[in-house]
Formats: sequence, C-alpha cells, structure tokens
Amino acid sequence: MQQSLESNQSGLSNDAWPACDIPCYLGRVEIPDDVIVPESRWSRNNRLVEYALRQDNFERHVGAAVERHGAHRVGVVMGTSTSSIDRTEEAYRAMDEGAAERFASEFLQPRTHNPHAPGDYLAERLGLTGPCITVSAACASSAKVFAAAERWLQQGLVDAVVVGGADTLCLSVLYGFHSLQLVSDEPCRPFSPQRKGISLGEAAGFALLSNEPAELSVTGVGESCDAHHMSTAHPEGLGARLSMERALAAAGITFADLDYVNLHGTGTRANDEIEGKVCAEVAAPHTLFSATKGWTGHALGAAGIVESVLAMNALLTGLVPGTMNTTCAEPGLPVLLESVHREIKTALSNSFGFGGNNCSVVFARA
Amino acid sequence: MNVNVAGLAVWGRGLTSYDDLLRVMQTGGLPDGAEFIAPKPEAIPSRERRRAGLMINLAVTLAHQACEHAGVDKSLVPSVFASGMGDTDITDYMCRKLAQPDKMLSPTKFHNSVHNAPSGYWTISANNRAPSTFVGGYDYSVGAGLIEAASQALAANQPVLLVAYDIVNRPPFSEICPAGESFGAAVVLAPIDWPAAGAGLNLRMDLVLESVAAASDTQPSPGLKQVAAGNPSAVSLALLEQLAAVQEGQDDRAALKLRAAPQLELHLGICPAAG
Repeated sequence: MQQSLESNQSGLSNDAWPACDIPCYLGRVEIPDDVIVPESRWSRNNRLVEYALRQDNFERHVGAAVERHGAHRVGVVMGTSTSSIDRTEEAYRAMDEGAAERFASEFLQPRTHNPHAPGDYLAERLGLTGPCITVSAACASSAKVFAAAERWLQQGLVDAVVVGGADTLCLSVLYGFHSLQLVSDEPCRPFSPQRKGISLGEAAGFALLSNEPAELSVTGVGESCDAHHMSTAHPEGLGARLSMERALAAAGITFADLDYVNLHGTGTRANDEIEGKVCAEVAAPHTLFSATKGWTGHALGAAGIVESVLAMNALLTGLVPGTMNTTCAEPGLPVLLESVHREIKTALSNSFGFGGNNCSVVFARA
Repeated sequence: MNVNVAGLAVWGRGLTSYDDLLRVMQTGGLPDGAEFIAPKPEAIPSRERRRAGLMINLAVTLAHQACEHAGVDKSLVPSVFASGMGDTDITDYMCRKLAQPDKMLSPTKFHNSVHNAPSGYWTISANNRAPSTFVGGYDYSVGAGLIEAASQALAANQPVLLVAYDIVNRPPFSEICPAGESFGAAVVLAPIDWPAAGAGLNLRMDLVLESVAAASDTQPSPGLKQVAAGNPSAVSLALLEQLAAVQEGQDDRAALKLRAAPQLELHLGICPAAG
C-alpha cells in the first residue's frame, strides 16, 4: 500500500471479471494460490481474510495480545457486506437445473453461507474465544466495527479487539450496482464534475485495539441513520452531518481541529454532491479533504477499514493521499487532488451505506 | 453488565404478542392449528412497504411492538438487528438470477439484499436517526446481539432495541440451516437507573461472559420449543419465557445461558428491577 501511495499507482484495471459483461474498472486483489483455508470455510472472501492476515506481522501482534490477556479476553468485530456470497453464487452455478434443489456436497458449508462467515473464520483461525460478531451495515460496515470495539473495551468485556473488514468482488455486487446504474465505465473520479459512478473493489484489513496507550488512537466514533431512503442519501446530508458531529463530540473536538478528512467519496453524482456540500459548510481552511476510491475502488463493506488504515497511515507517515483520477474538483469543497507531505495529528474517515447507515471515525496521533 | 429490561416482542407460529406468550406458557403448548401469520407493519410508509419482503416485515413489526411495550421513544432509540442467516429469500433470488445467462437484477431486491435492510426500513418508519446496526452471528446471533445491545445501552446511557429474527429456509438453504419456520423476538434493554415508562417489563438482567469448551443454550420449555425448532433466533424463547415468568411473579428470579460464540456462553440472571 505504502509503495502504491508513494509511486502514485492506482489499483484499478479493466481486466474482465469471470462471467461479467459490464464494462468497468475494478480494484481486484490477486490472491496467491497458496493462500488456502479449510474446505468447510472455502470462499474467496475467507481467502481474502486469510491473505490480509498474513501481511505486516499482524498475526504476531494478535499473538502477543493473546499471550498478555488470554484468548478469551480478545474479541473480534469484523465488517462485511458480501460475507461469502461469492461461494453461494458458485454453489448455485453448480446446481443442476431441474434437478433436486440441493447444493453439491462440496458446497454444504453452513459456517460459510451466512453473514457471520468472516468474523467466525477470523476468530477460529486466530484462536480467539472472546465475544465475536460480524457487523453488516452495507458500506459503513467496517467503520462501525470501531464503535462496537470501543464499547466492549469500555465495558471491560475484553482487553483487546481485532477489528476489520473484508468484502470480495462477486456477481451480486457487480450486477447489483449495475442495476442501479451506478457503475462507471472508466476509473472512478470522485468529486470530479465529470464523474460517472463507482469502480468496485475488494479488500480486507484489520486493526488491533486495546485500552493501552499507543502511537495511534481512535478518539471518537459517530454513527447515525438518514431515516430517508434505502439506497438514496438524504438530500441535505442530514445523516452524514450527524455522524461527523457525533464522532467529533465523542472525540471532544470540533471541525476546526481536523487536519485531514478521508471522504466517503464514491464517485457517484449524488454521494459526492451531498457529502461535498455538508463538508464545505463546516470545513476549516487548513483541513485537507480527499477521496481515495480512485486508488482502491469502492471496497463496500471493507471500505471503512481500508480508508481508516489510509487515514492512520497519513497520521503516521505524513503522506496524505490525493484524489486519484480527479484532475479538477467540482466547485464547493476544495478536495486535495495530488498527494502531499504534511505532518498531521487528527484525521476523520467517513463511511456511508445503503439503508441510510452512516459512520465517522476520528483517529489521532499521540 | 447490568441492565434493565423494559419490554419485549415476539412473533412466530401461534405467537404475535406478549399475551400469546403468556397463554402458551400457561397451557403448555400452542393452540391446535396455530399458524405463522405474515406480519404486515402498517408503520412502514406505503412506498417502502410495497418493496419489503417477509424478513423486513417481521423485523420491523417486532421493533415497533417492543418499543411500544417498553414505552420508549421510537424516534430516539438506537437499535441492533441480529440474524443467523440473513434474508435467504433474497440471497436465493440473487444467486439464482446470477447463475442464468441474463443476470439483470431488480434494483429494489438488490438494495434489500444488504443485511441492514430491516434497520433501514425501521429507521425510515420510525423517523429514527440514532445509531443502528446489524449483527451476523450464525448460531450465536441472539447471544452476540445481546452483548452488542447491552454494551451499547450502558455506553450510550440510553435504552437500546435488540431485534433477532430468521425466516424459514427453503431448499437449498434448508440443508445449510434447518429453520423450518420463521421466528423473531425483540427486547428493549435500558440502563439500570432508567425509569420504567411503559406497561411492559420492569426487570433487571445481569449478563456475564463464561468461557467454556463447547457452548450450549438453555432450552425453552417443550410447549415453546415446538414454535420454531431449528431457527437460530428461536433460542431467544428461553429468554422470553424467563423474562415473562419473573415479570408475572411466577418466579422470584431466573437464570439461563445462551451461546455467544462456539466457546463462549452468555449467562443471564433475571430479577425484578425493584429487587
């Protein structure tokens, strides 16, 4: 990730996706063949969880937390929208038409064909026996994991929590967003006046949270609902504004204290217009705003964790990512086009999803 | 964690209200010919209601009933929706369609396919902008949902609604999860000093996590066990039964356990709030 950020390289490409004839660009992850999971858990989504788990010594950090606190004192909160539906799609494709309505034997995987699959897999894989849930709130899923983890830590249910998210490309999301006419036929250009919609992506990522002091901290999480429409944001961005305000209030700061905002910035006409309007009204002159889905694609249920990691990375390295693919921003919110180096201390990440579900997370560097 | 339980709701075969629950507890079984009545939540605006399927209607009906029972403000209460399998009717539609040459999906069915769809319809119908989430917990969804709702009630210091539900699984999903009937339940958990406002429940519940080699659930009594055997959300019947027994003075206190993860049990102790 750091390498892509430094060399200004987007992960989007227009390589074809199997059995998909929608013209589009995708943020696809090449999962190496040696990344395998047990047969009972086999799915692209679980393999992506496994692949991400092998990065950056994450397993070792979790191991240290287990050693310190005990496996029963470490919780899991995963976020997903797709769960392992990639595998369910495969099971249906393999079903004989007209024959009995049964999955073939290799698809009889109860712990895979359900919304809890990624959290359940992760806990078993890491040997964690504390509380474990999988949050599914569309594109806000893996931002809301920080809220649940914070509450568990606060109530003393656990000493540490593995939070994260995983979503995979599959026909459900490709044809689903296509049915809503939201998929761009070019690499997405968030906040560009010429934007044509989203580029879908897939991703998995994690963070290990505890009450102990660390270089980075989650200082506030805000959650809200639009109470407006299932797939269209509130026209005045009421829910988006509420989630940001609640996150800032929880962190004990104001908009003026924010150095960086990683926008939800999907590249659709409606999202960017509404989010841009809400942010422009409250933005302080020094605050940097950028949307990073031009780098990664919209990883849906994993977007929250991906963009949280990007925000935390900006806090740690001082490299604030620009809005890839966007050459000129729509009037209103002055989004950062090119990446810049700047020492920042406080960042907020926005994630908004279907069902009118919104979440904002504030991170700070000590 | 210590919370108050302010109200409940239940919907399954022969059960559409708290009074139905009490009747089954009294007689020891469902009345002859009891059926599952499809819920039709009038509270969902008609534009949205046309688009809602069984699972959404079930969850939203329970949400409204539990809030009314507890006497909490529907527009302010944060909510946790929990399900073992999610909407298998929609999953079936999507996967079946995508296995065919013409893969065009209905946009409405697609936006209803997000697991937080019931939360979306609920918040629209209640004009509620409080936090709302969906917890997937497979066989552990009721226990996991209780942990999530109780910790939120304490952290936010306000009542939180928990709705747990699963719909009947038809082939091929019936081999994945043997839910032969739809069932759902809801409770409103509040901070312990929260004043009882409704005619519902006035109970105290403590929740303790216990690590075990293999977690198991307290079973509901035989009369209630027949309501929706195999439905992941029906394990909540043991909780509803004990809540009702203490509320109605049949028992001074009650204790039960529910699975929250393969090696984690949630131990629940229930007593009157005044006690």
